[in-house]
Amino acid sequence: MGAAVNPILICRDCDTVYRGIPLRRGDVALCRRCDAVLARHFGANAETGLALVCAAAIFFAIANLTPILSIDIAGIETKANIWFAVRSLQQGWISVAALGLAITTFLVPAVQIALLFWVLLFARIGRRPPGFGPIMKLLHRMRPWSMTEVFLLGALVAIVKLANWVPITAGAGIWAIAALTAVLALLGRCDPASWWSIAPALKT
Amino acid sequence: MTALRQSFELGLSLCRTCGLAVSRASLVVDLRCPRCRSRIEHRTPFSAEMTLAWLIAGIVLYIPANLLPVMHTSGLLGDEDSTIVGGILEFWRSGDWGIALLIFTASVAVPFTKFIAIGLLIFTVRKNSRWEQHQRAVLYRIVEFIGYWSMLDVIVVALTSALMQFQVLGTAEPRPGIAFFCAVVIVTMLSALSFDPRLIWDRPA
Repeated sequence: MGAAVNPILICRDCDTVYRGIPLRRGDVALCRRCDAVLARHFGANAETGLALVCAAAIFFAIANLTPILSIDIAGIETKANIWFAVRSLQQGWISVAALGLAITTFLVPAVQIALLFWVLLFARIGRRPPGFGPIMKLLHRMRPWSMTEVFLLGALVAIVKLANWVPITAGAGIWAIAALTAVLALLGRCDPASWWSIAPALKT
Repeated sequence: MTALRQSFELGLSLCRTCGLAVSRASLVVDLRCPRCRSRIEHRTPFSAEMTLAWLIAGIVLYIPANLLPVMHTSGLLGDEDSTIVGGILEFWRSGDWGIALLIFTASVAVPFTKFIAIGLLIFTVRKNSRWEQHQRAVLYRIVEFIGYWSMLDVIVVALTSALMQFQVLGTAEPRPGIAFFCAVVIVTMLSALSFDPRLIWDRPA
Protein backbone atom coordinates (compact mmCIF):
# COMPACT_ATOMS: atom_id res chain seq x y z
CA MET A 1 0.00 0.00 0.00
CA GLY A 2 1.39 3.39 -1.02
CA ALA A 3 0.94 6.74 0.66
CA ALA A 4 -2.20 6.39 2.71
CA VAL A 5 -4.38 9.45 2.26
CA ASN A 6 -6.79 10.29 4.99
CA PRO A 7 -9.92 11.14 2.91
CA ILE A 8 -11.26 13.71 5.37
CA LEU A 9 -9.14 15.87 7.64
CA ILE A 10 -10.56 17.90 10.50
CA CYS A 11 -8.44 20.60 12.13
CA ARG A 12 -7.81 19.77 15.80
CA ASP A 13 -7.63 23.42 16.75
CA CYS A 14 -10.56 25.01 14.90
CA ASP A 15 -12.71 22.13 13.60
CA THR A 16 -12.49 23.10 9.92
CA VAL A 17 -13.09 20.20 7.51
CA TYR A 18 -10.79 19.47 4.54
CA ARG A 19 -10.51 16.87 1.83
CA GLY A 20 -7.12 15.19 2.14
CA ILE A 21 -4.65 15.20 -0.75
CA PRO A 22 -1.53 13.04 -1.19
CA LEU A 23 1.51 14.66 0.41
CA ARG A 24 5.01 14.42 -0.99
CA ARG A 25 8.18 14.08 1.04
CA GLY A 26 8.65 17.06 3.37
CA ASP A 27 5.10 18.34 2.82
CA VAL A 28 3.11 19.69 5.73
CA ALA A 29 -0.59 20.47 5.37
CA LEU A 30 -1.64 23.55 7.34
CA CYS A 31 -5.12 24.70 8.26
CA ARG A 32 -6.20 27.70 6.14
CA ARG A 33 -8.07 29.23 9.03
CA CYS A 34 -5.79 28.79 12.04
CA ASP A 35 -2.45 27.53 10.60
CA ALA A 36 -2.43 24.39 12.77
CA VAL A 37 -0.68 21.34 11.30
CA LEU A 38 -3.33 19.10 9.70
CA ALA A 39 -1.03 16.38 8.42
CA ARG A 40 2.59 15.71 7.60
CA HIS A 41 4.05 13.49 4.94
CA PHE A 42 4.49 10.19 6.71
CA GLY A 43 8.19 9.65 6.01
CA ALA A 44 8.82 6.81 8.42
CA ASN A 45 7.95 3.25 7.58
CA ALA A 46 8.14 0.37 10.03
CA GLU A 47 11.83 -0.20 9.31
CA THR A 48 13.09 3.32 9.92
CA GLY A 49 10.73 3.64 12.87
CA LEU A 50 12.07 0.43 14.38
CA ALA A 51 15.67 1.57 13.83
CA LEU A 52 14.94 4.85 15.61
CA VAL A 53 13.25 3.09 18.52
CA CYS A 54 16.21 0.72 18.94
CA ALA A 55 18.56 3.72 18.94
CA ALA A 56 16.34 5.40 21.55
CA ALA A 57 16.41 2.28 23.75
CA ILE A 58 20.23 2.14 23.60
CA PHE A 59 20.62 5.86 24.39
CA PHE A 60 18.11 5.53 27.23
CA ALA A 61 20.07 2.63 28.71
CA ILE A 62 23.39 4.52 28.46
CA ALA A 63 21.83 7.64 30.00
CA ASN A 64 20.65 5.61 32.98
CA LEU A 65 23.68 3.37 33.46
CA THR A 66 26.48 5.94 33.18
CA PRO A 67 26.85 9.17 35.19
CA ILE A 68 25.51 12.29 33.52
CA LEU A 69 27.47 14.55 35.85
CA SER A 70 30.15 13.84 38.42
CA ILE A 71 32.24 15.78 40.94
CA ASP A 72 35.59 14.63 42.27
CA ILE A 73 37.09 16.40 45.28
CA ALA A 74 40.24 14.90 46.78
CA GLY A 75 39.26 11.36 45.87
CA ILE A 76 35.67 11.65 47.06
CA GLU A 77 33.40 11.32 44.03
CA THR A 78 29.69 11.99 43.66
CA LYS A 79 27.72 11.08 40.56
CA ALA A 80 24.30 11.97 39.22
CA ASN A 81 21.96 10.69 36.57
CA ILE A 82 18.15 10.72 36.20
CA TRP A 83 17.60 8.15 38.92
CA PHE A 84 20.03 9.80 41.39
CA ALA A 85 18.21 13.10 40.81
CA VAL A 86 14.88 11.46 41.61
CA ARG A 87 16.31 9.81 44.73
CA SER A 88 17.68 13.10 46.04
CA LEU A 89 14.14 14.52 46.11
CA GLN A 90 12.85 11.64 48.23
CA GLN A 91 12.56 13.44 51.54
CA GLY A 92 9.33 13.40 53.50
CA TRP A 93 6.48 14.86 51.52
CA ILE A 94 8.86 16.57 49.07
CA SER A 95 8.74 13.09 47.53
CA VAL A 96 5.77 14.25 45.45
CA ALA A 97 8.35 16.19 43.41
CA ALA A 98 10.42 13.00 43.16
CA LEU A 99 7.35 11.25 41.81
CA GLY A 100 6.71 14.03 39.27
CA LEU A 101 10.33 13.93 38.14
CA ALA A 102 10.40 10.11 37.95
CA ILE A 103 7.24 10.02 35.82
CA THR A 104 8.25 12.75 33.37
CA THR A 105 11.93 11.95 32.86
CA PHE A 106 12.07 8.18 33.45
CA LEU A 107 8.75 6.36 33.33
CA VAL A 108 7.10 8.15 30.38
CA PRO A 109 10.14 7.97 28.05
CA ALA A 110 10.72 4.31 29.02
CA VAL A 111 7.10 3.32 28.36
CA GLN A 112 7.02 5.32 25.10
CA ILE A 113 10.09 3.48 23.82
CA ALA A 114 8.76 0.06 24.91
CA LEU A 115 5.30 0.58 23.38
CA LEU A 116 6.64 1.97 20.10
CA PHE A 117 9.02 -0.99 19.89
CA TRP A 118 6.11 -3.40 20.37
CA VAL A 119 3.94 -1.68 17.75
CA LEU A 120 6.69 -1.32 15.15
CA LEU A 121 7.99 -4.84 15.63
CA PHE A 122 4.58 -6.16 14.60
CA ALA A 123 4.20 -3.57 11.83
CA ARG A 124 7.54 -4.77 10.42
CA ILE A 125 6.10 -8.25 9.86
CA GLY A 126 2.82 -6.79 8.59
CA ARG A 127 0.69 -7.68 11.57
CA ARG A 128 -1.45 -5.63 13.86
CA PRO A 129 -0.03 -5.95 17.40
CA PRO A 130 -2.20 -7.14 20.29
CA GLY A 131 -3.60 -4.16 22.14
CA PHE A 132 -2.97 -1.76 19.23
CA GLY A 133 -5.92 0.53 20.06
CA PRO A 134 -5.22 1.01 23.79
CA ILE A 135 -1.47 1.34 23.10
CA MET A 136 -2.01 4.13 20.56
CA LYS A 137 -4.37 5.87 22.96
CA LEU A 138 -1.81 5.65 25.76
CA LEU A 139 0.98 6.96 23.51
CA HIS A 140 -1.25 9.89 22.56
CA ARG A 141 -2.00 10.69 26.21
CA MET A 142 1.65 10.46 27.28
CA ARG A 143 3.05 12.72 24.58
CA PRO A 144 2.88 16.04 26.54
CA TRP A 145 4.50 14.48 29.63
CA SER A 146 7.84 13.39 28.20
CA MET A 147 10.50 15.82 29.49
CA THR A 148 13.85 14.40 28.34
CA GLU A 149 14.84 17.67 26.65
CA VAL A 150 14.12 19.66 29.82
CA PHE A 151 16.38 17.26 31.75
CA LEU A 152 19.18 17.92 29.25
CA LEU A 153 18.86 21.68 29.74
CA GLY A 154 18.69 21.17 33.53
CA ALA A 155 21.94 19.18 33.46
CA LEU A 156 23.65 21.95 31.47
CA VAL A 157 22.42 24.59 33.93
CA ALA A 158 23.66 22.46 36.86
CA ILE A 159 27.13 22.30 35.25
CA VAL A 160 27.34 26.09 34.94
CA LYS A 161 25.90 26.57 38.40
CA LEU A 162 28.36 24.27 40.17
CA ALA A 163 31.42 24.87 38.00
CA ASN A 164 32.18 28.06 39.96
CA TRP A 165 32.63 26.06 43.16
CA VAL A 166 33.66 22.52 42.40
CA PRO A 167 35.41 20.54 39.64
CA ILE A 168 32.39 19.12 37.79
CA THR A 169 32.60 16.94 34.71
CA ALA A 170 29.99 15.68 32.27
CA GLY A 171 29.92 11.92 31.72
CA ALA A 172 28.85 9.77 28.78
CA GLY A 173 25.29 10.05 30.02
CA ILE A 174 24.91 13.65 28.94
CA TRP A 175 25.68 12.77 25.30
CA ALA A 176 23.22 9.88 25.55
CA ILE A 177 20.53 12.26 26.86
CA ALA A 178 21.24 14.66 23.99
CA ALA A 179 20.99 11.86 21.42
CA LEU A 180 17.85 10.49 23.08
CA THR A 181 16.24 13.94 22.89
CA ALA A 182 16.95 14.09 19.15
CA VAL A 183 15.64 10.57 18.44
CA LEU A 184 12.48 11.04 20.52
CA ALA A 185 11.84 14.32 18.69
CA LEU A 186 12.09 12.51 15.35
CA LEU A 187 9.68 9.80 16.53
CA GLY A 188 7.37 12.44 17.98
CA ARG A 189 6.96 14.05 14.57
CA CYS A 190 5.23 10.90 13.39
CA ASP A 191 1.89 11.90 14.86
CA PRO A 192 -0.58 9.26 16.10
CA ALA A 193 -2.99 9.99 13.26
CA SER A 194 -0.32 8.86 10.80
CA TRP A 195 0.43 5.69 12.72
CA TRP A 196 -3.26 4.90 12.58
CA SER A 197 -3.26 5.29 8.81
CA ILE A 198 -0.94 2.27 8.50
CA ALA A 199 -3.22 0.16 10.70
CA PRO A 200 -5.73 -1.06 8.06
CA ALA A 201 -2.88 -2.57 6.06
CA LEU A 202 -1.92 -4.74 8.98
CA LYS A 203 -3.48 -8.15 9.43
CA THR A 204 -5.08 -8.76 12.77
CA MET B 1 -11.75 29.00 -2.99
CA THR B 2 -14.51 27.16 -1.25
CA ALA B 3 -15.86 28.35 2.06
CA LEU B 4 -14.30 26.87 5.16
CA ARG B 5 -16.80 24.77 7.04
CA GLN B 6 -16.77 23.34 10.52
CA SER B 7 -17.42 19.68 11.19
CA PHE B 8 -20.83 20.30 12.73
CA GLU B 9 -22.23 21.72 9.49
CA LEU B 10 -21.19 18.55 7.66
CA GLY B 11 -22.50 16.08 10.23
CA LEU B 12 -18.99 15.08 11.34
CA SER B 13 -17.03 14.94 14.57
CA LEU B 14 -13.31 14.57 15.13
CA CYS B 15 -11.77 11.83 17.24
CA ARG B 16 -9.07 13.81 19.04
CA THR B 17 -7.14 10.68 19.95
CA CYS B 18 -6.59 9.16 16.52
CA GLY B 19 -7.65 11.94 14.16
CA LEU B 20 -10.47 10.08 12.41
CA ALA B 21 -13.41 12.04 11.01
CA VAL B 22 -16.51 10.26 12.29
CA SER B 23 -20.05 10.67 10.96
CA ARG B 24 -22.23 11.91 13.78
CA ALA B 25 -25.07 9.67 12.67
CA SER B 26 -23.00 6.66 13.71
CA LEU B 27 -22.44 8.19 17.15
CA VAL B 28 -26.12 8.01 18.01
CA VAL B 29 -25.74 4.29 18.58
CA ASP B 30 -22.21 4.23 19.91
CA LEU B 31 -20.40 7.22 21.44
CA ARG B 32 -17.00 5.72 20.72
CA CYS B 33 -14.64 6.11 17.79
CA PRO B 34 -15.03 3.14 15.41
CA ARG B 35 -11.26 3.03 14.92
CA CYS B 36 -9.67 3.53 18.35
CA ARG B 37 -12.68 3.19 20.68
CA SER B 38 -12.02 6.54 22.40
CA ARG B 39 -15.04 8.47 23.56
CA ILE B 40 -15.93 11.19 21.06
CA GLU B 41 -17.16 14.56 22.26
CA HIS B 42 -18.01 17.24 19.75
CA ARG B 43 -16.46 19.71 22.23
CA THR B 44 -14.51 18.73 25.36
CA PRO B 45 -17.17 18.80 28.11
CA PHE B 46 -16.72 21.53 30.75
CA SER B 47 -13.51 22.60 29.00
CA ALA B 48 -13.56 26.25 30.15
CA GLU B 49 -14.58 25.30 33.70
CA MET B 50 -11.87 22.63 34.06
CA THR B 51 -9.25 24.95 32.56
CA LEU B 52 -10.21 27.69 35.02
CA ALA B 53 -10.19 25.29 37.99
CA TRP B 54 -6.68 24.04 37.19
CA LEU B 55 -5.54 27.60 36.49
CA ILE B 56 -6.69 28.82 39.92
CA ALA B 57 -4.99 25.82 41.56
CA GLY B 58 -1.80 26.71 39.69
CA ILE B 59 -1.88 30.36 40.79
CA VAL B 60 -2.51 29.36 44.42
CA LEU B 61 0.37 26.84 44.38
CA TYR B 62 2.68 29.39 42.77
CA ILE B 63 2.61 31.51 45.97
CA PRO B 64 4.23 28.95 48.35
CA ALA B 65 6.47 27.83 45.48
CA ASN B 66 8.05 31.28 45.53
CA LEU B 67 7.84 32.14 49.24
CA LEU B 68 9.24 28.85 50.56
CA PRO B 69 12.90 27.91 50.09
CA VAL B 70 13.58 25.40 47.31
CA MET B 71 17.03 24.36 48.48
CA HIS B 72 19.17 24.33 51.60
CA THR B 73 22.94 24.45 51.30
CA SER B 74 25.44 24.06 54.07
CA GLY B 75 29.20 24.05 54.05
CA LEU B 76 32.28 26.06 54.91
CA LEU B 77 30.50 29.30 54.07
CA GLY B 78 27.64 28.57 56.46
CA ASP B 79 24.05 27.41 56.10
CA GLU B 80 21.67 29.00 53.64
CA ASP B 81 18.11 28.57 52.37
CA SER B 82 17.51 29.77 48.85
CA THR B 83 14.29 30.57 47.03
CA ILE B 84 13.73 30.53 43.27
CA VAL B 85 14.05 34.30 42.90
CA GLY B 86 17.00 34.28 45.33
CA GLY B 87 18.78 31.75 43.14
CA ILE B 88 18.20 33.89 40.04
CA LEU B 89 19.58 37.00 41.80
CA GLU B 90 22.65 35.03 42.91
CA PHE B 91 23.44 34.04 39.32
CA TRP B 92 22.87 37.62 38.23
CA ARG B 93 25.23 39.06 40.85
CA SER B 94 27.96 36.53 40.15
CA GLY B 95 27.92 37.57 36.47
CA ASP B 96 26.17 34.51 34.98
CA TRP B 97 23.56 36.64 33.22
CA GLY B 98 22.72 34.02 30.62
CA ILE B 99 21.85 31.41 33.24
CA ALA B 100 20.02 33.99 35.35
CA LEU B 101 17.92 34.92 32.32
CA LEU B 102 17.29 31.27 31.43
CA ILE B 103 16.05 30.35 34.91
CA PHE B 104 14.06 33.58 35.10
CA THR B 105 12.36 32.65 31.83
CA ALA B 106 11.59 29.08 32.86
CA SER B 107 10.55 29.77 36.47
CA VAL B 108 8.99 33.24 36.39
CA ALA B 109 8.24 34.42 32.85
CA VAL B 110 6.76 31.13 31.60
CA PRO B 111 4.36 30.59 34.55
CA PHE B 112 3.19 34.22 34.40
CA THR B 113 2.73 34.05 30.64
CA LYS B 114 0.66 30.91 31.14
CA PHE B 115 -1.50 32.45 33.87
CA ILE B 116 -2.25 35.54 31.78
CA ALA B 117 -2.65 33.73 28.45
CA ILE B 118 -4.93 30.98 29.78
CA GLY B 119 -6.95 33.54 31.74
CA LEU B 120 -7.38 35.61 28.57
CA LEU B 121 -8.39 32.54 26.55
CA ILE B 122 -11.03 31.47 29.08
CA PHE B 123 -12.39 35.04 29.39
CA THR B 124 -12.74 35.58 25.63
CA VAL B 125 -14.21 32.10 25.08
CA ARG B 126 -16.83 32.62 27.78
CA LYS B 127 -17.83 35.89 26.10
CA ASN B 128 -18.02 34.17 22.68
CA SER B 129 -15.63 36.84 21.47
CA ARG B 130 -14.71 37.08 17.75
CA TRP B 131 -11.70 39.23 18.64
CA GLU B 132 -8.34 38.23 17.07
CA GLN B 133 -9.29 34.56 16.70
CA HIS B 134 -6.16 33.69 14.75
CA GLN B 135 -3.88 35.39 17.28
CA ARG B 136 -5.60 33.56 20.12
CA ALA B 137 -5.16 30.23 18.32
CA VAL B 138 -1.42 30.99 18.07
CA LEU B 139 -1.38 32.03 21.75
CA TYR B 140 -2.84 28.67 22.71
CA ARG B 141 -0.16 26.80 20.77
CA ILE B 142 2.55 28.90 22.46
CA VAL B 143 1.11 28.04 25.89
CA GLU B 144 1.09 24.35 24.98
CA PHE B 145 4.69 24.49 23.80
CA ILE B 146 6.29 26.45 26.66
CA GLY B 147 4.47 24.68 29.50
CA TYR B 148 6.82 21.90 30.48
CA TRP B 149 10.05 23.92 30.34
CA SER B 150 9.23 25.24 33.82
CA MET B 151 10.31 21.83 35.15
CA LEU B 152 13.87 23.14 34.68
CA ASP B 153 14.34 24.39 38.25
CA VAL B 154 13.06 21.13 39.75
CA ILE B 155 15.69 19.24 37.73
CA VAL B 156 18.48 21.67 38.65
CA VAL B 157 17.67 21.39 42.38
CA ALA B 158 17.47 17.59 42.15
CA LEU B 159 20.82 17.29 40.33
CA THR B 160 22.52 19.77 42.67
CA SER B 161 21.23 17.87 45.73
CA ALA B 162 22.39 14.58 44.24
CA LEU B 163 25.88 15.93 43.54
CA MET B 164 26.60 18.13 46.55
CA GLN B 165 27.08 15.44 49.15
CA PHE B 166 30.44 16.32 50.66
CA GLN B 167 30.20 16.26 54.44
CA VAL B 168 32.90 18.85 55.07
CA LEU B 169 32.92 21.00 51.96
CA GLY B 170 29.23 21.26 51.40
CA THR B 171 25.87 19.58 51.04
CA ALA B 172 22.66 20.59 49.29
CA GLU B 173 19.16 19.39 50.12
CA PRO B 174 15.76 20.03 48.56
CA ARG B 175 13.22 22.09 50.48
CA PRO B 176 9.35 22.14 50.26
CA GLY B 177 9.22 25.06 47.77
CA ILE B 178 10.42 22.73 45.01
CA ALA B 179 7.51 20.33 45.58
CA PHE B 180 5.06 23.23 45.22
CA PHE B 181 6.87 24.36 42.10
CA CYS B 182 6.67 20.87 40.58
CA ALA B 183 2.94 20.90 41.36
CA VAL B 184 2.58 24.30 39.62
CA VAL B 185 4.11 22.88 36.43
CA ILE B 186 1.87 19.80 36.43
CA VAL B 187 -1.31 21.69 37.33
CA THR B 188 -0.79 24.44 34.72
CA MET B 189 -0.08 21.76 32.11
CA LEU B 190 -3.37 20.08 33.04
CA SER B 191 -5.03 23.50 32.68
CA ALA B 192 -3.67 23.98 29.15
CA LEU B 193 -4.57 20.39 28.20
CA SER B 194 -8.15 20.87 29.46
CA PHE B 195 -8.68 23.82 27.13
CA ASP B 196 -10.44 22.97 23.88
CA PRO B 197 -9.01 25.44 21.31
CA ARG B 198 -12.02 24.90 19.02
CA LEU B 199 -14.03 27.06 21.42
CA ILE B 200 -12.09 30.07 20.09
CA TRP B 201 -13.79 29.62 16.72
CA ASP B 202 -17.29 28.68 17.81
CA ARG B 203 -20.09 31.18 17.27
CA PRO B 204 -22.87 31.67 19.79
CA ALA B 205 -25.74 29.35 19.02
